[in-house]
Amino acid sequence: MASLAEAAPPLLEMRGIRKRFPGVVALDGVSLHLRRGEVLALTGENGAGKSTLIKVLGGAHLPDEGEIRVDGRGVRFQSVRDAKDAGIALIHQELMLAPNLDVAGNVFLGNEDRSFGLLSPLRRRAMRRAAAELLLRVGLAHPPETRLSSLTVGEMQMVEIAKALALRARIIIMDEPTSSLTAGESQKLFQIIRQLRSEGIAIVYISHRMEEVLDLADRVTVLRDGRHVGDLQRDEATHEKIVALMVGRELSANYFPPRPEKAAGDVVLEVDDLLVPGAPAPVSFNAARGEIVGFAGLVGSGRTELMQALFGANPALAGSMKLEGRSFLPRRTSDAIRRGVYLAPEDRKRHGLVLPMTVAQNTSLPAIDSYSRFGLLDRGRERRVAEAEVARFRVKTPSVLQPVVNLSGGNQQKVVLGKWLAMAPKVLILDEPTRGIDVGAKAEIYRHMAELAAEGLTILMVSSEMQEVLGMSDRVVVMRERRIAGVLPRAGLSAERVAQLMTGGAEERKSA
Amino acid sequence: MRRELGMFVALVLLCFGLWATNHDFLGASNVINTTRQISMLGIFAIGISFVIITGGIDLSIGSVIGLTGVLIAKLSGQFHPENPASGGLGHSLWLGITVALAVAALIGLVQGLLITRLNLQPFIVTLGGMLLLRGVSQTIVRGGTLSLGDVPLARFANGGLFGSEGSPLLPYPVLVLALVAVIAAYLLHFTVFGRYVYAIGGNRDAAEYSGIPVRRVETLTYVISAFSGGVAGVCYASYIGQMSQQVGIAYELYAIAAAVLGGVSLRGGEGTVLGSIIGSCIMRVIDNGINMFQWVYRDENGGRRIFRLDNNWTFIIIGAVILVAVVLDQAAHLIQAKRRTRRAGALAKE
Repeated sequence: MASLAEAAPPLLEMRGIRKRFPGVVALDGVSLHLRRGEVLALTGENGAGKSTLIKVLGGAHLPDEGEIRVDGRGVRFQSVRDAKDAGIALIHQELMLAPNLDVAGNVFLGNEDRSFGLLSPLRRRAMRRAAAELLLRVGLAHPPETRLSSLTVGEMQMVEIAKALALRARIIIMDEPTSSLTAGESQKLFQIIRQLRSEGIAIVYISHRMEEVLDLADRVTVLRDGRHVGDLQRDEATHEKIVALMVGRELSANYFPPRPEKAAGDVVLEVDDLLVPGAPAPVSFNAARGEIVGFAGLVGSGRTELMQALFGANPALAGSMKLEGRSFLPRRTSDAIRRGVYLAPEDRKRHGLVLPMTVAQNTSLPAIDSYSRFGLLDRGRERRVAEAEVARFRVKTPSVLQPVVNLSGGNQQKVVLGKWLAMAPKVLILDEPTRGIDVGAKAEIYRHMAELAAEGLTILMVSSEMQEVLGMSDRVVVMRERRIAGVLPRAGLSAERVAQLMTGGAEERKSA
Repeated sequence: MRRELGMFVALVLLCFGLWATNHDFLGASNVINTTRQISMLGIFAIGISFVIITGGIDLSIGSVIGLTGVLIAKLSGQFHPENPASGGLGHSLWLGITVALAVAALIGLVQGLLITRLNLQPFIVTLGGMLLLRGVSQTIVRGGTLSLGDVPLARFANGGLFGSEGSPLLPYPVLVLALVAVIAAYLLHFTVFGRYVYAIGGNRDAAEYSGIPVRRVETLTYVISAFSGGVAGVCYASYIGQMSQQVGIAYELYAIAAAVLGGVSLRGGEGTVLGSIIGSCIMRVIDNGINMFQWVYRDENGGRRIFRLDNNWTFIIIGAVILVAVVLDQAAHLIQAKRRTRRAGALAKE
């Protein structure tokens, strides 16, 4: 007779989960199962659908299709509350805690005794007593009346876990829990995770860090492009196998413009021991005239912060830079702009454009001084310059007097590029230049980038799309945990090598 | 509590300084008068604190105060048969007060629902409410004044317990403030509702994800704020007697200033009932101090001269005090943040 445990349905079963967002299929029939006391690692590249999947599980998104079963019973989560009631707690990457309350208050937030509705007396003493026990379980040595804001991020993570335990959660989902933890704090977290596992709690662990995944997980599930592409048991999982599943796709060859192999030009930008705020160590690299340097890395690997330091938006703490041989240390963005270093930010709509303003107004904005004549704005010149850029990039807009909010994502990105090119840049930093842009517009942006590089412009391109990094870069700087993990030349570049460095394979350091 | 303690010490020093320049400052009549003013401000400063702690703002509270008084005068004022439009309707005082308070609560409910259900900015909703309600008051008083007449309420704000008739030792508004403060302190500091008010102000997303009924709690804070304006409005109506359209103008700014001085942060998530009361004390003592302050000196001929502050300085001084208070508050925040970063950095090095 089969034992009862084997006959029992799995703790959690998700089948054929499909979720569409306008323009994208985020989840395309994903299935997933989870047993009691199991640590399941969920991995995949940026945008593979991990976040959407756990939001569906946590009740934040309703799936379009598919079924979810807990203990064999079908459930349908309409809200976060529903998922919690079913014993599923989601710990977000950005911690969802109130910094102005004490630890006990946070542990029981939303879970207080509400037998008299909102007017129920707050049972502080009982909550503190109960919190003290939970804190002991997660190994947090602070008294429960400590104010949350005086804890470190790692300690806050423990408070989140205690909060999940207070809900008697049977499934705890952790989204990149170690992304802002120190090594010591991470070790402590792993210890707690193992202890929870031994208590029968199942854990879905999302992480990009391979050593953690291999160390902790009983099983690894890999997602790619919204699909479940493989399950690896603990004993068969290796770094190489996981990366192969994560990347596993053919690159479409003629999508990218040909990039002629050429002798490196003279160095335009030299970065020497630059200490970016928040980074554990200084970074050094350089970029030559007409070169496209790709910056690969996972979300949170410090690429954007580095670019902001180069642009003066988040000034570096120490180190030196040289632009065309002259010292270059921007303290504010206007310093960088004056020297011809421009940044097209990742979040176009928030940092790149003033949406209600017209194409012409956006184009003239960074150099508005140069458009003044006798203190008045020369609207004629503003329009002519914008029209030239619109023609160069073939922006689809009825006129330059159109507010950019009416343009599509691809055309908006072209306006951002045009705005900087109108000012004759020396170094152009593109942070995720094709995010949210359709395929046709992407190819066009790539072509323009190649042309600009051929004209001698130096481009630093931050990209989370592997194809883009491989297809466009002359050299690839791979970042991990806010350090440069390696610099790969175009020759012999492969998705596997980049992914290995990104996720913490062997350190590799070529002369930068 | 550190912020409250600091402001309390500042208040004591301020009082002592004023007493040193003019002993009449602590004379019985001035103390009783100032206490009455503090109490009336404190009532709605406490109310508005609920809104500010959630991270919102209520600009309509001054207009609610004015409208409450006008409604009471209209409903319960004496009826003039020869000129019905200019007088009251002659209903009972209880009816007038009940209706006025109900209207105040309803105003809060409507504003709260607009803000939470339609996702409108609290600033703009309550700005609209402020102008609209002021206009309603104007329409009711027809540009003139409405007299409360000789009703028991007219003796309420100036009356009190103990002491002789006409100069009570404990004015009734102080008792009202005490009652409001006890109820508010219970709500804010000892119930689940109060916990949610702080949680929303501290991290709205966390509150949502923790399953807190964020919109209901927020709506209730606007009801509390407007209702406290109504209660204060009853006191002001009694105190002033003649209701004109001017009553309560800019009081919302006094209340916000009092709350901020008492440690309620406009960033949300911080503040206490006690702090709001201390802030109200400081506002009113400064107000009163500008009248009381005097500096006796001798001119070059040895004649005795007295320097007094010009009354027109009131806004300059109050404005400066508020700015200094928020600058100090921000400085304290920055120092704390820096200390935290350093601590985290030290941990990272381990």
